[in-house]
Amino acid sequence: MKSISLGQYYASGSILHKLDPRTKVLLGMLYIVCTFLCKNIIAFGLLFLSGILLIAIAKIPFKIILRSLRPIIFIMLFTVVINVFWTTGDRLLFSWSFINIYAEGLYNALFMAIRIIMLITGTSLFLTYTTTPIQLTDAIERLLAPLKRIKVPVHEFSMMMTIALRFVPTLIDETERIMSAQKARGADFSNGSLVKRAKALIPILVPLFVSAFRRADELATAMECRCYHGGEGRTKMTVTRMQGSDITALFAMIVFGTVIVLINYYAAKYGIGYTM
Amino acid sequence: MSQPFIKVENVSYSYDEEINLIPAVSGVSLEIEEGSYVAFAGRNGSGKSTFAKLLNMILEPSDGKIYISGKEIDVNAMTDAELMETRRNIGMVFQNPDNQLVATIVEDDVAFGPENLGVPSDEIRRRVDDALKTVGMSEYAKSEPQRLSGGQKQRIAIAGIIAMMPKCIIFDESTAMLDPSGRREVVDMMEKLNREYGITIITITHYMDEAVRADRVIVMDGGRVVMDGTPEQVYAEPEKIRAAGLELPQCAELVCRLREKGIKLDGCCITPESCAELICRALEVTSNE
Amino acid sequence: MSEYKIALTGVTYRYSPDTPYETRALDNVSVGFESGKITGVIGHTGSGKSTLIQMLNGLLKPDSGEVTLDGADIWANPKKISSVRFKVGMVMQYPEYQLFEETVRKDIAFGPQNMGMNEDEVKKAVEDAAAVVGLTEEQLEKSPFDLSGGQKRRAAIAGIMAMKPEVLVLDEPAAGLDPEGRESILNAVEKYRNETGATVIIVSHSMEDMARRCDNIVVMSHSKIILNGKCDEVFTNSEKLTDAGLDIPQITRLMMLLRSKGVDVDSKIYTVDRAEQALLKLFAEREATR
Repeated sequence: MKSISLGQYYASGSILHKLDPRTKVLLGMLYIVCTFLCKNIIAFGLLFLSGILLIAIAKIPFKIILRSLRPIIFIMLFTVVINVFWTTGDRLLFSWSFINIYAEGLYNALFMAIRIIMLITGTSLFLTYTTTPIQLTDAIERLLAPLKRIKVPVHEFSMMMTIALRFVPTLIDETERIMSAQKARGADFSNGSLVKRAKALIPILVPLFVSAFRRADELATAMECRCYHGGEGRTKMTVTRMQGSDITALFAMIVFGTVIVLINYYAAKYGIGYTM
Repeated sequence: MSQPFIKVENVSYSYDEEINLIPAVSGVSLEIEEGSYVAFAGRNGSGKSTFAKLLNMILEPSDGKIYISGKEIDVNAMTDAELMETRRNIGMVFQNPDNQLVATIVEDDVAFGPENLGVPSDEIRRRVDDALKTVGMSEYAKSEPQRLSGGQKQRIAIAGIIAMMPKCIIFDESTAMLDPSGRREVVDMMEKLNREYGITIITITHYMDEAVRADRVIVMDGGRVVMDGTPEQVYAEPEKIRAAGLELPQCAELVCRLREKGIKLDGCCITPESCAELICRALEVTSNE
Repeated sequence: MSEYKIALTGVTYRYSPDTPYETRALDNVSVGFESGKITGVIGHTGSGKSTLIQMLNGLLKPDSGEVTLDGADIWANPKKISSVRFKVGMVMQYPEYQLFEETVRKDIAFGPQNMGMNEDEVKKAVEDAAAVVGLTEEQLEKSPFDLSGGQKRRAAIAGIMAMKPEVLVLDEPAAGLDPEGRESILNAVEKYRNETGATVIIVSHSMEDMARRCDNIVVMSHSKIILNGKCDEVFTNSEKLTDAGLDIPQITRLMMLLRSKGVDVDSKIYTVDRAEQALLKLFAEREATR
C-alpha cells in the first residue's frame, strides 16, 4: 500500500515542472477547452501532436502515460463502439443485417478516442505529473484569493485539502491494519447477503472513525503549538511569481486554441478533410 | 541571581472536577533554569503529561501560577501576539509521529511553524535548511513523511519546532511509540540540542534509562512531585522509584539487590560500564581487606 | 519435526512483486515453534519479523514454501483459512485500536461469536479471558473507550484469548505502556500459556522483557533468520546480535564487561536473578579466602 503515491507526481525537473502552479492550472483549463474546440481531422491531428510534444517537454516516460490510460480503456471502447455503430452519414462502408457502418462513424470514433486520451493526458500532465498536490492546493488558494473579499473561506478550504492529502495514505494503512485485526477475530467481509456485509463493516468503521477523530484532535493541538492561527499574517516559504516563461506558456496555449478555431473554420469552408 | 526560565507556583489541574475528584496535577511548585535538561518520569496517569500541557498552555491550570521568563502566563489576560510568542518559545514534540506532521512534503512541514509566524520567505528557506541539517535529515527534504521511519518522522517534527527558534522544547513521551533505534535517534537529538544549542529540554517519559540522561530527574506520582534531583540522587533511592511505578534499569536493579544483601557498593551506577567498575572495586576491597 | 506446533518451511514472500517497489520480506525462511513454549521473535524494524508472524495465521500467503500447523499445510484448502485463524490467534500492534463494541464484554465476545459458539459458551469464554487478563466484572460492562490505555490493551488481548487459540501470536504486546502496564500484559500472556498449554510467539524490541519471559528466541535480520535457540544461547551471542543492529540485554553486557576485567562470572547469565546469585556467591568466596 505504501507504494501508492498520491497524485502520481513525477519529478523530472522539466520546464513544465518549473512553471508557476497557477499557470499550470490555467493551462490545464485552456487545454480542456482546446480539446473540445477541435472539429476537423487536421485539428485533431494537431491536438494529438501537441500531446506528444507536451509529454516530451515534461520528460515523462511514455510507459507511465500509457499506464495512466489503462483505467479509461473501457470508457474509450464504449464510446468508440457507440460512435462506429450508431453514427449515420452519407458514405456507407459496410452493411450487414441491421448493422450499418458509415465512414463518418469511423471518423467520429477516432475523434472521440483522441479527445478522451488528450483530455486525460493533458490535464494530468499539467496538474498531477508536474505539480505536487500541495502546489496545486496552493495555486487554487491563490487563484481564488479574490473570493476572500466576499468572505469565502479560501485559506481554510485549501488547508483542509492539504491535510486531507497528507492523511489519505495514513488512513489507508490504518484501514488495512484494522481489517487484518478483525479478520484475525474471524470477521468475514466477503460472504453473505448485502445487509450482512454492510453489518460486517461496523467493526472496521467504528475503530476507523475513533482513530480519525483522535488523530484530528492531536493534529489540532500540534498545529496550535506551532502557532497556527488561520490564514491571517501567514507567509509562505516558496513564493512563486509569474515569470516570462509563464506568460509565454499561456500565450502559446492561446495561440494554439486560436489556430484550432481557424483550422475548423477554413477546413469547413473549403471542405478540406472531414469535419464533425 | 537571574530569574528562573520557568517558575511554577502551587499549580493544580483537574480534567473534570465532577467525575474525577483526584486532580491530575496537584500543588506542584518548581523552577526550571534556562539551558537545563530535565526529565519528568512517572507511570501512566501520574500527571506528567498534563503538567507538560500546562507549560505550553494547551491546558490552563485550575489553580496556581506559571511564569515564563518572569512573566505570568494566563491565556485570558494575554494578547494574541504574547500568546504566539510564548508558544513559539516553548515548542512541543508529541507521542505519535504521524499526528503532528501537517504537510505531504518534509520541507513544507518544517516550514509550517515559521509560515504561521509570518517570517519572510527567504528567512524561512534558511531556517528550514538549517533545521533539517541540525536533525540530519537534509537529504530527505523533498520526501513524503509516510515513507520515513518513526524515528525519522520524529526528527522532522523536531526540525519543525527548531525552525521556530524556541528557547525550550518539551518532548511529551516522544519516544513511546518508537523502536530502540528510533528512540536512540530522538534521545541523542535531545542531548545535542541541549549541549550544542543551549536549548532547554524537558522530556517526559516512563523509561528510566532515558530519564537518567538528563541533568535533573523529576519523578511524579499521583499528580505530585515525589522525587527531584540529579540522576545519581534519584537512583540512590530505589524503593521510592519502585513505589512510583517505575522500573530501574537492570544494572541498577542488580546493584540495589546486592546492597540489600549487605554487600558494600559505593558510588552510583547508571550504565553497565559504571556498574562493572563498581562491582570490580568492591570485589578487590573484599579480597584485600 | 513433530515437536513443532507450527512451522515455516522454505518460505519466501515479496511485497509489490514485479514492480519497482518490490521488496523481499522473507527469504527462504524455515523455522519451527515448539509446542507449549514461549518463543520470542526479535529483529530491527524491517527485518521481516512482522511478515513472518502474518504468515502464521494466513493473513499473508507465501509466494513459495509451506506453513504447517500440526504438520498440515494451512493453505491446502484456501477456503478453510478462517479455521486456521481460529486456531492461531493473532494480537496485532496497538490492538486497542480494533475495539468497537458498546461494552467490553460484547467486544471480547466478537471473536467467539464469529466462531459459532453458543451463548453459554461465549459467556464462559469471555469470562475466562477476562480473568486471565485481570479485567473486573465492572470493567466488562464499561464502554471500551472509557478504559485507561493499559486496560484497553488488556481488553483487546482478551478478545483474542476468548477464542481459545492453540497458538497465540502477539506483535509488540507491551509497546508504549509503562512498566506496570507492561508487566500485567506479559503476566497475562504467561498465565494463558500455563492454563491452556498454548504455544506462544511474541515479537518485541525489549531484550530485557524477552530474556525474562521466553523459552526460545528467534532473531531475524534482512529477511532471514540468523539465530534460533534457547535464550542463553542467543543472548550470549553478542556478536551476531550487534551485527543485526540489536542491543544485548544489559545484564549480558555487564557480565561481559566483568569478564573482560578478569572477574570470573558465567557469560551465559542474562537475567538479574541469576546475576545476583552469581555475584553473591563470588563475594562470599572472596570473603572466605581472605
